[in-house]
Amino acid sequence: MKVSYFETGRYRAPASMRARWPMPPGEYAPAEGGRVFDGMVERVVLAEKLGFDWVSLSEHHYSPRILTPSPPVAAAYLAARVSQIKIALLGPIVSHSNPVRLAEEMAMVDAMSNGRLIVGLLRGTSNEAMTYGVNPRESRERTDEGMELILTAWREPHPFSWQGRHFRYRTVSVWPRPSRQPHPPTYALGTSQEAGAFAARNRIGLGVSYGPFDAMGRATGFYRNECARHGWAPSADQIVYRANILLADTDEAAEQALKDHPAQAPFSLGEKLADALLEVDKRNVAGEARAASINRALPINFAGAPDTVVKQIRQCHALTGAGIVDLGFNTPGSSDPGVLMESMDLFGRKVLPFIRDI
Amino acid sequence: MTDNFRECHVVADGFRIRCLEAGDGPVLLHLHGASGARWSPAHDLLARRFRVILLEMPGFGAEENTRTWHVREMAGTVAKAAAVLGLRQYGLMATSFGARVALWLAEGWPGYVTALVLEAPAAIRPDAMVPLTGTPDDVAQRLYAHPEKMPPLPVEDAARNAWRTRLLARLWGSPRDLALESTMAELRMPVLVVFGTRDTVIPPDIGRKYLDLIPDAHLAFVYDAGHDTAMERPEAFAEIVGDFLTRGEAFSISEETTTLFP
Repeated sequence: MKVSYFETGRYRAPASMRARWPMPPGEYAPAEGGRVFDGMVERVVLAEKLGFDWVSLSEHHYSPRILTPSPPVAAAYLAARVSQIKIALLGPIVSHSNPVRLAEEMAMVDAMSNGRLIVGLLRGTSNEAMTYGVNPRESRERTDEGMELILTAWREPHPFSWQGRHFRYRTVSVWPRPSRQPHPPTYALGTSQEAGAFAARNRIGLGVSYGPFDAMGRATGFYRNECARHGWAPSADQIVYRANILLADTDEAAEQALKDHPAQAPFSLGEKLADALLEVDKRNVAGEARAASINRALPINFAGAPDTVVKQIRQCHALTGAGIVDLGFNTPGSSDPGVLMESMDLFGRKVLPFIRDI
Repeated sequence: MTDNFRECHVVADGFRIRCLEAGDGPVLLHLHGASGARWSPAHDLLARRFRVILLEMPGFGAEENTRTWHVREMAGTVAKAAAVLGLRQYGLMATSFGARVALWLAEGWPGYVTALVLEAPAAIRPDAMVPLTGTPDDVAQRLYAHPEKMPPLPVEDAARNAWRTRLLARLWGSPRDLALESTMAELRMPVLVVFGTRDTVIPPDIGRKYLDLIPDAHLAFVYDAGHDTAMERPEAFAEIVGDFLTRGEAFSISEETTTLFP
């Protein structure tokens, strides 16, 4: 089992700040923003020292939660400061991006990090369709086309034209080219049958996130069946499970922390806006319809003392086939990055050595 | 200027009020700015989705108004005119000076106003605001970012101009009207505030003050337009206004296709 540390750019917003998306940029505090990026480096240096295999970054907009609206920028910053740990972009939101630009930026990160880039491509959370004005009804097919264009741009040795459904370029010729061909290790991120089918068809990995192990197992099972249909079998390294973790010295302490600080949605959308979005943003797990996650708290997937978490990760692997867990460390009741680093340290000492054999 | 509208008159508070109207569908009532009622291409575009009624406030047309002393009274007159027209629910749009009337109307008759659009509103004004006076060319220089691209403004009738100036002197009030501002906090309908990025009559920066004061307000900038945004960039203006009036805050969710080829 490999382990990825999910760096969320921990911005400490004052409790008085209304958590309604989009959040007003006038409330941004530059000093705190500076601390976020200094802290990011500090935590990733620690993750590397502790033996984490990857650091992952994700793309979110218009709020202080996860302050990396441009993952390639954050990745470039980190690439110059750590030398061993792989840098996973999990990932750029393809549905609202210029795919050619993404292909160029990620290839730059690959070159800057001496080939340590890992790529995850996704449609994005429901609210992100509003970031740059993508029609949610079209975001899935824009994602599929954009992902395919990125892979093509990395692979083709000659300039080409792209006559897509949503994208049209008369000339594409991306420099730098990724150091690994046909592309760096790449994942389609998502639980939908579309994501699974795309990943299987293009012989790339699949990343699922936050759902219960059995449900995520259905998504990875669908993916594996699709891979078989295309005549190949993914390795464990080609399935990523992103999760929230709450690690404590004892199970009781973890339970108490969850009780004292029940999980909350990181921000909310206005009720009418949320209803309108639910109407048009259709999601599924391996083909089975599910409501888009709007105004809902994300679950804590691994919680307890180190030995309990080891068992939970084993169970996760058994049910999902994931060979990589991508972990967002939760420290309920504390926004202190020092507490987060203590939790990472505990994981590095008491969990990591005991899951390597999985 | 187009003339794809019907003209009618209603009587309210003893005033004979002229209305210009076009289109079918949900009602959009428009209150004009200080220079009076002028049908624009934006009205034509909005009339494809709405029954647009541009109401000429008493004193801005063919007759002098010596009886209205406060914008709040004007709001009452407009509300009565809307009732005479049989309007039960309407989107309310107001331009510049008209925003002062519209805010009192929305506060006093909230059940009628489903959504409010304030175009370059003059409900909060800079202290050093220079009135729009002079020749039509002078006014055009102030109203538009690109006056050279706009049709010439009509030459004003001197008598009308004089009585309108007297009326406005009574109705303008102070740049920061605290009573008016206190109404903003009470608004429960969605409000869209629109400024042209090159408005030199009321700086677009003032838009942020409305967001501080109104609970459910959205701010939109129309690029490269001056104070008369609807006249200068009618397509851009009418599109966002129409979407907002139809969908409220869900107008943030794009319904446009980016499909190039099937």
